[in-house]
Amino acid sequence: MFVNNKKNFIATLLGAVILLTASQVFAYTKPGNPTGFVNDFAGIFSAEQKQSLETKLSAYEKQSTNEVSVVTVKNLDGDYIENYAVKLFKDFGIGKKDKNNGLLLLIALEDREMRIEIGYGLEGELTDAQSASIIRNVLTPAFQKSDYYGGVNEATDLIIKKLSGEQVNIPVSKQKVNINFNLIFFLFFFVFSFLSSVLAKSKSWWAGGIVGALCGGLFGLFLGSWIYSLVMALLFTPIGLLFDYIVSKNYKKGQRTGVYPWWIGGGRSGGSGSGFGGFGGGFSGGGGSSGRW
Amino acid sequence: MKKLNLLILLVVLIALWGILSYNNFVRANKAVDNQWAQVENQYQRRLSLIPNLVNTVKGGSKQELAFAKEVTDARAAFAAASTVDAKASAASNLETSLGRLIAVIEANPAIATVPLYQDLSAELAGTENRIAVERGRYNDNVTQINIAVRTFPSNIIAKTFGFQERTLFKAETGAEKTPEVNF
Repeated sequence: MFVNNKKNFIATLLGAVILLTASQVFAYTKPGNPTGFVNDFAGIFSAEQKQSLETKLSAYEKQSTNEVSVVTVKNLDGDYIENYAVKLFKDFGIGKKDKNNGLLLLIALEDREMRIEIGYGLEGELTDAQSASIIRNVLTPAFQKSDYYGGVNEATDLIIKKLSGEQVNIPVSKQKVNINFNLIFFLFFFVFSFLSSVLAKSKSWWAGGIVGALCGGLFGLFLGSWIYSLVMALLFTPIGLLFDYIVSKNYKKGQRTGVYPWWIGGGRSGGSGSGFGGFGGGFSGGGGSSGRW
Repeated sequence: MKKLNLLILLVVLIALWGILSYNNFVRANKAVDNQWAQVENQYQRRLSLIPNLVNTVKGGSKQELAFAKEVTDARAAFAAASTVDAKASAASNLETSLGRLIAVIEANPAIATVPLYQDLSAELAGTENRIAVERGRYNDNVTQINIAVRTFPSNIIAKTFGFQERTLFKAETGAEKTPEVNF
């Protein structure tokens, strides 16, 4: 349970039920879930300003795969901005997982502190000295005039230019497929409701167990080893039986009362509408630069 | 007969758990080794920045030169250290003397305001922060092993196969808290 892999694996297993892998207690607390490349938790941008930054950063991501994110928070809760930035970076998973090509511009409004935090994969493209110079010469003077949008807009322009400078049109070969959590949840709900309605209507009590064992086995194989497969199959069998039992009972109750639970009757409509598919799961190693205004 | 089956099942399950647990120890130890390599990378980065820093005080005051020499010596001592523990203590010596040198440089506007020095100081601050981050992650990894070595039931596997606790990186108080190299 102490290797990340294993942790992920368990999280996936239980994730739908409970989030057991409580992240360790640090001074850092997650300010919220990312809803795009621009996350304005401090509320310093107007809706149009936010939209315009978002459009720019999202277009840049499409063209380069680099994930540049702007996050504003009210305060750091007494934490150091360097610590906060590296934790937030990893928490949000900015940058593609296999490339760590993310960049975070973090602004703490009340602390009047800011930081550019760079993913491992971009350290060569934007040096700490260049980040420092952007903070010193662009962000600080703008922020002192309370022109947050102006500063951030110009800074992100500069950052994008710098990042593009050395890597002109990276060929988009062999892009690893990024796991899309919307899709996973959609599938989960779809499969869940499909199975529920089938198992609930079926007369057998054992079908759930078999489905459970199959699911567990497949899941284990996915994780790459037959041991997992076996363990998972054993683990999932009783879960499947229980599942069958519960849905069948509910179904019978539904037949009696005429009110069917929501999972009878097919899938739910999914899809989020916003174009943001989540960050890629990259992380950083403390590179970048901090400043105050 | 039924009892026998149950017993076999139990033994199989325990054996499976043992294998998983053993593999976890192997993997976790590997992760710690990798993380230590990351720490060393960042140390290396710091080492290669130091000559530039020392150069900025070339022809400076006596005090500046004295501190610069101290840094150069500490750097050499660090480069000569071979074991993990020796490296760790040499690194913290180096940090102390670096801090002193930077303090005198900061007090001298003739150097501190030069753009070249500002760039260098940004790189140094970034490096110190990287070191802090990688060391923090190293300690996280080590702590996870140490907990597994000590707690039941994984301690049985640890004892049987000789997995031991790893040494935590004890940073100077405050040194963990990123750059005092704040210009």
